[in-house]
Amino acid sequence: MSNVPLRDILIHARQESSRMRHFYLGVEHLFIALLEIRSGLTSSLMQDHGLTPDYVIDAVRRRTGKGARARLWAGMPNTPRADVVLGIAHDLALEAGRDEITERDLLLAILEERDSIPTRVLVQLGLDLDQLMQEANRRQLDSGITTAYLDIVFGPDYDTSAPLSEDALFILRRMFHGYNRIRVERRLNGGYSSALLVIVTPITVDNLEEASVVVKIDRADAILDEAKRYEQHVRTTLPPLTARIEDRPTAPETSAHAGLKYTFVTDRDSGPRDLRSVAASWSGEKLGRWLQEQLYPYFGQTWWSQRRPYRFEAWKEYDWLLPPLLTLEMTPVKSLPPGAVVIREPLRRARINQIDYGELVAVENFTVHKIYEDRREIALTHGRGSSADKQAYQINVKMAEMEEPVYRGETIDLITGKVYKTRAETLQLATRALSPNFDVTAPTIPGPAGMERLPNPLLHYDGLLDITLNGSVSKIHGDLHMGNILVGPNENPFLVDFAHTRDGHTLSDWAMLEVSLLSEVIMPIAGESWAAAYGALEGVVTLNARLPRPDGLYRNKLDKAFDALACLREIVAECLQTPGGWIEYYVPLAFCALRAMTWETMPLGPRRLMFLLAALSIHETRQTGKPGSSETHADHSLSDSGGSPTP
Amino acid sequence: MAVEIMIMSGVDDGLVLRLDDKDGQLVGDDWALTIGRREDNDICLRNDTFISRDHAILRKQGDQWFLEDCGSKNGTYIETPDADARVTTPVPIAPGQLFRIGRTWLRLQNTE
Repeated sequence: MSNVPLRDILIHARQESSRMRHFYLGVEHLFIALLEIRSGLTSSLMQDHGLTPDYVIDAVRRRTGKGARARLWAGMPNTPRADVVLGIAHDLALEAGRDEITERDLLLAILEERDSIPTRVLVQLGLDLDQLMQEANRRQLDSGITTAYLDIVFGPDYDTSAPLSEDALFILRRMFHGYNRIRVERRLNGGYSSALLVIVTPITVDNLEEASVVVKIDRADAILDEAKRYEQHVRTTLPPLTARIEDRPTAPETSAHAGLKYTFVTDRDSGPRDLRSVAASWSGEKLGRWLQEQLYPYFGQTWWSQRRPYRFEAWKEYDWLLPPLLTLEMTPVKSLPPGAVVIREPLRRARINQIDYGELVAVENFTVHKIYEDRREIALTHGRGSSADKQAYQINVKMAEMEEPVYRGETIDLITGKVYKTRAETLQLATRALSPNFDVTAPTIPGPAGMERLPNPLLHYDGLLDITLNGSVSKIHGDLHMGNILVGPNENPFLVDFAHTRDGHTLSDWAMLEVSLLSEVIMPIAGESWAAAYGALEGVVTLNARLPRPDGLYRNKLDKAFDALACLREIVAECLQTPGGWIEYYVPLAFCALRAMTWETMPLGPRRLMFLLAALSIHETRQTGKPGSSETHADHSLSDSGGSPTP
Repeated sequence: MAVEIMIMSGVDDGLVLRLDDKDGQLVGDDWALTIGRREDNDICLRNDTFISRDHAILRKQGDQWFLEDCGSKNGTYIETPDADARVTTPVPIAPGQLFRIGRTWLRLQNTE
C-alpha cells in the first residue's frame, strides 16, 4: 500500500492553499494533496469510479474559489475542521498500532467526518461515502510504487566536469517517478543565477523513449512563483509550437529546491539548444536576423506587439533591478525603539538614501519577498504581487537566527535592524572590484575616444529613477537573456524561465537582451581590459548614433559581431512609443547594465563594459531628454519634500 | 430560543456559533440575526473580504427560518439540489440546509 507520510501530504496541502491564496490549512487542501499522489489510494479510488483525480480537484477548487489578495492573518492556521479530521486520522493510526498517520488514515478520517467541502463535492459527484470507506479499507496497493528506484544515466553530450548535486538528482527522481530510467542529455547554461537547466529524455518501463523535456531546478519558492506566473501570464499567450509547463512543480519537503518541467511541443524530436551555444557558431548578422525574423515576430504577436501606452516613473519598472536599498542586521526589539528611522508607506527614497551605516532602522508592514536560507537573510518589499513596482525598494534583513519561521508573502508588522550596507555602498564595492583606472568618486569618468567625459553612474543613477517615461506596456518575459532563449528544430525559437514574466515595460526585455549580447557575444571577442571595454563601448556609441553600419572590407570581427546588436536596435526602434524617443530605451539600458555589473559570477571584461554602458546610457538620456516627447524632472513625490517620518 | 450556525468553509471551517435570545432582536415571535463583516453583527464573519459589512439577515418567524439579503455586493446564495440560488427576496430555509455569504458557506442547525 502507499506509504506517503503525513508530512509530505501536509507540504502539498500547504502549497495548494497558497496557490489558491487561502493561507489556511483546510480539509479541502488535505484532500487535494491526497489526490495529487500519483497512483495513490485516493486517486485510484476515484479512477475506479470513472473520475480522473484532476477532475475531482477542479470540482473541489470550484467549490472554494480563489482567495482575495490580502492576507488577513499571519502564518497558515489549520481550520477547526482540519484539526478534527487530523484528530480522527491520528486515532485511526493509533488503533492500528502505528505512530504515523498514513494516506489511508487521512482519507478515512475525511470520509468519516463527512461535513467538509470535499465530501460534499464527492456526494454531489454521485459517490457514496460509506461505500468509499469500505473500498478504502479493503484496497491493497501495488507495493512497488513508492519504492521504485529511478535510474539516472547521462548522455554522450553531457559535460561530466559539472556533476549534478545530490539535491538535483533527488528532485529528478521525484519528478520522473514511475519511469524506468531518464537520460540527462546536456546542461543548458542557466545564466548567472543559481538555477540549473538540463535536457532530459524519460524512458518508460517498456524501454520506450519519450520526447525530451527541459527541467529547471532552483530554490523552491522561485520555482513555485514561476509556476504561478506561468498560469497567470504565459499559458494563454504562447505561440503554437513552444515550451510549455504541463505538470505541477516538483517540490519535495525535505529539500529547499524544487523542479519544473518544460515540455516541448514540436514536430520533430531533436532537443533544443540554448542561444548562447548556438550563437557561437553563428555570425553576428545571422544571430541578429534570427532575433528579428524568428524570435520577435513569433512571440511578438501575443507579447511585445500587443502594446498599450504606459506613462510611468522609471523606479516603478526598474528599481527592482538594483541592489537592495538597505541591508539591515536584525536587532530583536518588541516595540519601536526611540530614535529609529521608520520606513513605511509612503516611501521617501531620498530620505532613505541619507541613512548611514550603523543607524537604527524600523521597517513597518513590509512583505517577505524572498528567503535566503543559506545566508540567513530575507528580502522585504513594500508591496506584494508580480508587477515590478511592488518589488521596488527592496530591503534585506540579516537574521542571526530565525526565531519563528517566516513565510514568503507574509507581512511583517515591524522589524528593526542596524544598517549594514546601503545601495550606494553595494554599487561602489561592485565598481571597486573592477579595479578602475580612474577616480570612481569624481562626478565624471573618462569617455570613449572622441567623446567628452561621461557622467559617473554611481552618482547619477538615483536621479534616473525619478524620470517619467512615455512608454508602452505589454506581456514581457522579464529575464530575456541568451540562456533563456532556446533554438529548436527548424531554428524555431523557444523561451524558458518565466520567473519574471508579467505585464511590464515592453523595452525592458530588449534592454536585458542587449546587455546579454554585449556580455556574451561582444566581450569574449573584445577582451577583458579596460581598453577592450572602451573599445566595445565605441561600438555602442555607433549604435546610439544610428549611423549606417560600416560595411565591406574594413570590418573587423568586433564590427561583424555588432551586426546582431544593430538588428536588436531595429526591433527596439519598432517598439518605441514615440518614434525616435530613445530615452525610453536608454533608461532601462542603464539599469540593466548596473544590475549586470554587480554579478560576481560574470567575467571581469563584461562587468567593466556594463559600468561604462551605464555611464553612456545616462549620458544619452541627457542628450535626448530635452525634446518634448519625454521629460526629466526631479520634483517628485518621492523626493524628500515632506517632514521627517520619525514619530 | 437557540440556534447553531456552523461555518462550512474558509479559515473558520468547522467552527460552531451558538446563538440564543441574548443575541439578535426578538420582537414577539420574530427573531432576527444579522450577518456581516462588521463587528456589531450577531454573526460577524471578519475573515472573508467578499462579505459586505451588513450582508444578510436570518429571521425566524414562528417555526420557520427565512434568509434575506441586505443588498450585499457579492450576494447571498442558498444551496439547492440543482445549483446555488441567489437570494433576492426572503426565502425559507430549513435546518441542515447550506447557504453562502460572500465566499463563506454556513449551515443552520437545530440545537440538540
